[in-house]
Amino acid sequence: MSVNLTVDQKKIQAQAGQTILQAARENYIDIPTLCFHKDLSPTGNCRICMVEVAGQRLLQAACVTPITEGMQVETRSPRVVQSRKLNLELMLANHPQDCLTCDVSGECELQDLAYDYKVNVPAWGAKGTRYLPDSDPNPFIRVDMNRCILCRRCVLACAEIQGRDVWGVAQRGFEEQIVAGAGTTLLEARCESCGQCVAYCPTGALSNKLNYGLARAHQVRKVMTTCAYCGVGCQFDLLVKGNRVIGVSSNPGAPVNGMALCVKGRYGYDYIHHPDRVLTPQVRRYLLEGRQKSRTGSEWDWVKVDWQVALQLTAGKLASTRSSFGADSIGVLTSAKCTNEENYLMNKFARQVIGTNNIDHCARL
Amino acid sequence: MTNRRIIYKPIPDAIRELVHKHGGDRSDVLEILRDLDRQQKLNPESVTDTARALGLPAAELFGVATFYSMLSLAPRKNVIRVCDGPVCSETKAAALRQALEAQAGGAWSIERSSCLGLCDRAPAVLVGEQPAGPVQVETVPQLLQGWRGDLPDYSQARQGEVRVMLANAGKLEPDSIDSALANGAYAGLSKALASTPEAVLGLVEASGLQGRGGAGFSVGRKWRFVAQAKGDQKYILCNADESEPLIFKDRLLIDIDPHQVLEGMAIGGYACGASEGYIYIRGEYAAQARRLERAIAQAEQKGWLGSNIQGTPFTFNIHVHLGAGAYICGEETALIESLEGKRGEPRLRPPFPPSRGLHGCPTAVNNLESFAVVRHILNKGTDWWKALSSYAVPGTKLYMVLGKVRRPGLFEAPFGLTLRQIIEEFGGGMADGSSFHFALTGGAAGTLVDQSLLDVPIDYGSSARGISIGAGGFLVCDQTVAPVSLLRELMHFFAVESCGKCTPCRVGTWRAREILGHMLAGDGRPGDVAELRALSDNLLLASFCGLGQSVSVPLNSALAHFADEFQSYEHG
Repeated sequence: MSVNLTVDQKKIQAQAGQTILQAARENYIDIPTLCFHKDLSPTGNCRICMVEVAGQRLLQAACVTPITEGMQVETRSPRVVQSRKLNLELMLANHPQDCLTCDVSGECELQDLAYDYKVNVPAWGAKGTRYLPDSDPNPFIRVDMNRCILCRRCVLACAEIQGRDVWGVAQRGFEEQIVAGAGTTLLEARCESCGQCVAYCPTGALSNKLNYGLARAHQVRKVMTTCAYCGVGCQFDLLVKGNRVIGVSSNPGAPVNGMALCVKGRYGYDYIHHPDRVLTPQVRRYLLEGRQKSRTGSEWDWVKVDWQVALQLTAGKLASTRSSFGADSIGVLTSAKCTNEENYLMNKFARQVIGTNNIDHCARL
Repeated sequence: MTNRRIIYKPIPDAIRELVHKHGGDRSDVLEILRDLDRQQKLNPESVTDTARALGLPAAELFGVATFYSMLSLAPRKNVIRVCDGPVCSETKAAALRQALEAQAGGAWSIERSSCLGLCDRAPAVLVGEQPAGPVQVETVPQLLQGWRGDLPDYSQARQGEVRVMLANAGKLEPDSIDSALANGAYAGLSKALASTPEAVLGLVEASGLQGRGGAGFSVGRKWRFVAQAKGDQKYILCNADESEPLIFKDRLLIDIDPHQVLEGMAIGGYACGASEGYIYIRGEYAAQARRLERAIAQAEQKGWLGSNIQGTPFTFNIHVHLGAGAYICGEETALIESLEGKRGEPRLRPPFPPSRGLHGCPTAVNNLESFAVVRHILNKGTDWWKALSSYAVPGTKLYMVLGKVRRPGLFEAPFGLTLRQIIEEFGGGMADGSSFHFALTGGAAGTLVDQSLLDVPIDYGSSARGISIGAGGFLVCDQTVAPVSLLRELMHFFAVESCGKCTPCRVGTWRAREILGHMLAGDGRPGDVAELRALSDNLLLASFCGLGQSVSVPLNSALAHFADEFQSYEHG
């Protein structure tokens, strides 16, 4: 069922049950938000998306107010803009003036809104550091609660997306703060370092430790890729500076996983430029030169070869082992890093090409 | 900080037993946390273990444990809570606190507390769970030796009072149901049970009874919403969280006749089709909570509560739920959250409690005073109720007149009194040497008015004329009290009690207090008054819940009546 309403003098149609925010955004009318994220339950905490609804004495939070037939909404009336500015000012008052050195500068939603609404840190605000910067020893997630605006997106991301419930809201009023567990470290609070909270944090309160200080948003190229770790097929953006991968960020358009990633996908990228990484096939010298197995001297050395040579050698060894000792002398072990299709092919290869049931997979461990 | 090795230990038996003792349900977490606090074992580790035993995330339980002001995760001794509400502040509570800290020694922990609901005994303290007052600096030694002060006597009606809810004051033994039954208890419920729920609803609607929490919403209409809502399980909640400074009527109503309240709830349960009722009572009223529990047990014994009341098919159970120090839990959805064992933060509305309240079921939340009235309407009918006064709003209301009047205290009277009547006729006039300067009406979230509004009849609609009735508290201030000073006390209260959910209230109240503090210290700056106005407007327009919105009421009214005075604090 569709509902007719007017937003900023524009007549629009939207689905019954939608909020003002959903209806407006579908019709290309921008209403700013901070605590709202489309993947998370709306809470109406931050009061940035306040709009004016005809007939209502008070402003309404667009993210949680359902639309009604004939509703008249003003998203940029003077009252709305004044309230938004003041709410931003109240947030900025408790936010350090460290945009100059903040990693998230350039992709910070608070900074963008301050820019859009021309709001500065008020003279009475940012009087010092309330919390220890970089307060958590988690190896991947950098925590600086001074930058927190208490939107609670991290709490919801951890609870609703990852199901770990690591983050919580403690204290109340002006003393309110986001804590891990009963005020402990992330890892002690059962954190599995997936970094979902980082991905959903609108400011620099939660950021990535591995690439902290390496580059800002405008200094990197984003290259979408599929995760190489397992068969799920998560996609994300590699952050490339120069010709080096310096980090990973969620790509909201990823079809399988959306914003979600696991610790390996999000933080396990250091192998890409690792000096130990094997980039070409290698075989032992004795194999390449067709001699008896020998672990001595240069016979045992790795020699770089092309795929043709490596595969031929492997196929030849498998065939000769099978003919000398029988098919059951060969076993096939596949990997969780393969896709389902690849694992299926290895199963066919073991049973139908080699002729053995000796096939297993590392994930059963 | 480095990562410690994480060792998973089994949950200690003591915690398992404690959780088991309380039923192992999440709605019992406040009881469990209070027990841990009492044993001085409330700390992050025990909170984590308790969370594991309850199957809750540690972060969530920690959030609950740190939300309520009466719980402390830091070790402490026997606690004396010194009230810093506006009435006690005006009666030198700060000096009292200093004296206590100096004399109490190591045996006691002295803490501040928001208004304790003992405004008629100001300056007041809570020693453990025992209220005491008025406590002067000179009487601190006696206090530490067990003296608790004298209880004000409300058995005699003041000149002009119309007593309905207070009719039994001093006449019955509150802990004896026989005494209550001899004074008319449960006759109203008896009448209700002899008629249909629909007839009871009709009667309460026809009486025009307005909710006594301050908003004045029709009790009958609210009950009808609940009665009509779909659902097998429905709840009646009694809001006895009265944590607003100046308000202590619920405490006295319980102390005078707890059955009056229970009866009203049972009648509400019958009308709405609810079989369960909860009384959410503020943590500072532990003595009253026990009185209610005793009364419930006696009523169950006599067949006036519990299963098949008086042989009818109607079943109604009442449970008492003690809070742990949070003004915000007086907001009905925050109250429900707290009752479910969560942080007392308000919920999104809609849905409203009559359609989805406690545990998602239709729920009627009414003020304790509203329930106390119901018995009498059932007993004597709507004509009698309406004839109690000639004023447009029917019935009587409890008023608390405080501050610089000759006879501060509580009284019951019809609606439509003017502030002048409240001061002159009921308060005995201004105290010696005092002349009227201004008054705070309604409660802490009420209007601050000057003499221009002395003659406006006050009811639930009079806030449109600038003077609100709120929950019925009236603080009368004389020439020695500056509006800026009182407003700072109020903002201190709101800043301390803000739940922190939304930005306008969390930071706005804090900032307003800071500005007023600067003004009082002689550091006011040009633009301070304009900023207060802007903060106030934003609190009203953009706060998440009614409590945040209502902070603007004293701010705006004070700025309107005393614009020049506020301006005079701006220097430079």
